[in-house]
Amino acid sequence: MADINIVAATPVIIVAGTSVVTLSLGLVPWRRVRLYGPLLAAGTALIAAMVMSGVLWGDRQLAFDGNIRADRFSLLLNFVFLIAALAVIMFSWREPASVDRRGEWPSLVLASTAGMMLVAGSGDLITLFLGIELLSVALYALCAIEVWRERSLESGLKYLIVGAVGSAFFLYGLAMLFGATGSLKFSEIGREISQQSLANEPFLLAAIALIVVGLGFKASAAPFHMWTPDVYEGAPTGITAFMSTGTKAAAIAAFLLIFQGILPGVEGDWQAAIITIAVASIVVGNIAALVQRNLKRLLAYSSIAQAGYLLIGIATGTIAGAEATLYYLFAYLAMTLAAFAVVLIRERQVPDGERLESLSGYWRTSPLLAVVMTIAMLSLAGFPPLSGFVGKFLLFGSAVDADLAWLAVVGAIGSVVSVVYYLRVVGVIWFGQTDPEREERRLGPVTGATVVGVTSALAAIALTFATNPILDVCRGAAESLLAP
Amino acid sequence: MNTVPIAAYISVSAVLFALGLLGVLSRRNPLLLLLAVELMLNAANVALVGFSRFHETTDGQVFALVVMVVAASEVVIGLGLVVAVFRQRLELNVDLMSRMRG
Repeated sequence: MADINIVAATPVIIVAGTSVVTLSLGLVPWRRVRLYGPLLAAGTALIAAMVMSGVLWGDRQLAFDGNIRADRFSLLLNFVFLIAALAVIMFSWREPASVDRRGEWPSLVLASTAGMMLVAGSGDLITLFLGIELLSVALYALCAIEVWRERSLESGLKYLIVGAVGSAFFLYGLAMLFGATGSLKFSEIGREISQQSLANEPFLLAAIALIVVGLGFKASAAPFHMWTPDVYEGAPTGITAFMSTGTKAAAIAAFLLIFQGILPGVEGDWQAAIITIAVASIVVGNIAALVQRNLKRLLAYSSIAQAGYLLIGIATGTIAGAEATLYYLFAYLAMTLAAFAVVLIRERQVPDGERLESLSGYWRTSPLLAVVMTIAMLSLAGFPPLSGFVGKFLLFGSAVDADLAWLAVVGAIGSVVSVVYYLRVVGVIWFGQTDPEREERRLGPVTGATVVGVTSALAAIALTFATNPILDVCRGAAESLLAP
Repeated sequence: MNTVPIAAYISVSAVLFALGLLGVLSRRNPLLLLLAVELMLNAANVALVGFSRFHETTDGQVFALVVMVVAASEVVIGLGLVVAVFRQRLELNVDLMSRMRG
């Protein structure tokens, strides 16, 4: 008799269930409920799911006969996804763009979040694939949700086609993994691979190659990154922030789950592939970002480079590497949300808010947000004592310990190059001339985004001073990946 | 009983996957691109069903059924977007969709 144990799946169930509720709330006849109901319901559900993730914290519990896991790894990542989703909900509070789409917007955000949580908490290949698809399909629609804007449509259609190709590669890889081992359950696949030395088996090699390509598309790692700048630029800025934090975290979670969770025994087969895309991402992301004058494209290329740093931790194949990757995911979440919050606010203040020039002399009009953006940029560039520095230090350190010192050197050189374009933004904010002819106007509310920005910037600093307790938590999560 | 060897299933599915990929790389109309992606997903389905028979379990067939549902939902979003693009009277050619560059 299959063991249901529904309690272990409650965080996902809350989020997925409320996704349906918000859709209905957007249709009720009372105007006030229609305006605030869906966003309030979505926010409540996200906080409830966070509380449940905290309550479930502990050793592994299985739901639905082991198809959904609740262990330290999945629960820790739930916080990344839920915080990113909560930030998007705050961004869209009273936003004009979502006026006539009150219900759909939070509903799709919740559906996508539920998909991310399924990825981190999956116990077999079907759940993993369903999670990846749920998060992607909801995002295709979210990118194109501003249907009256040509760029939004273009971004949605591009993301759909590239994302579907990525999914097809990923699925074919999963099919090969099933073929090589004869099982869909992670625990049985892991056992099968460790018992009968399957290293260099052709189906397994094909599976690894296809899965790396498929997840590379999802994590926007080079050379599968071509879609990223266009999609990030065209999508509504709140959704761009969600994609660059949540989706990236989900793809990295899938990388960790597959390569460190179920394929640690055949490290020799996959390490070279991960190293290749990590190096390519660091090189391509940092070089292409140098010439960008559009903040959203700049952050898109920077996110490609950041994906490269995160992949270094996975390439090491050690617990310390996984631990560093998880820590950096939190640091990355904080600094990226802070940066996107400022871009979003600027977009609502001036018509060309996503251009770099629009931040010229920004500290005169808004010193608080100027400081927020400065912290975000310095942290992304890896200046001590911000959390971006600690995260990179841990990642590169884990590479040195795993005898991959040259990989750490590549990462360090990439970071040095990245200082140029991050500091350019800081320079424009503090030393740029304010354009007296610039038309300042209120195109939308900025309160929610300001709260997100300030909180994230504070978190980017706080993560440094709480490094040790957070690392302990990350270590528990990384170890739970390998627990039988 | 004479059974089809596993190599036959995998060859067919690999050819289908390659055809799909070729379609994605060569076609420029979003509708045809969606069709090509469908071909890639169904190539994986053939492989899943073949492996399922090879390992004498039904797991792979269950997976294939789930994939069909997922593929259908992907196409629904895709067609919705194509209709939205059409309503805006934009050219249905992904090469011309280049308002964003750089």
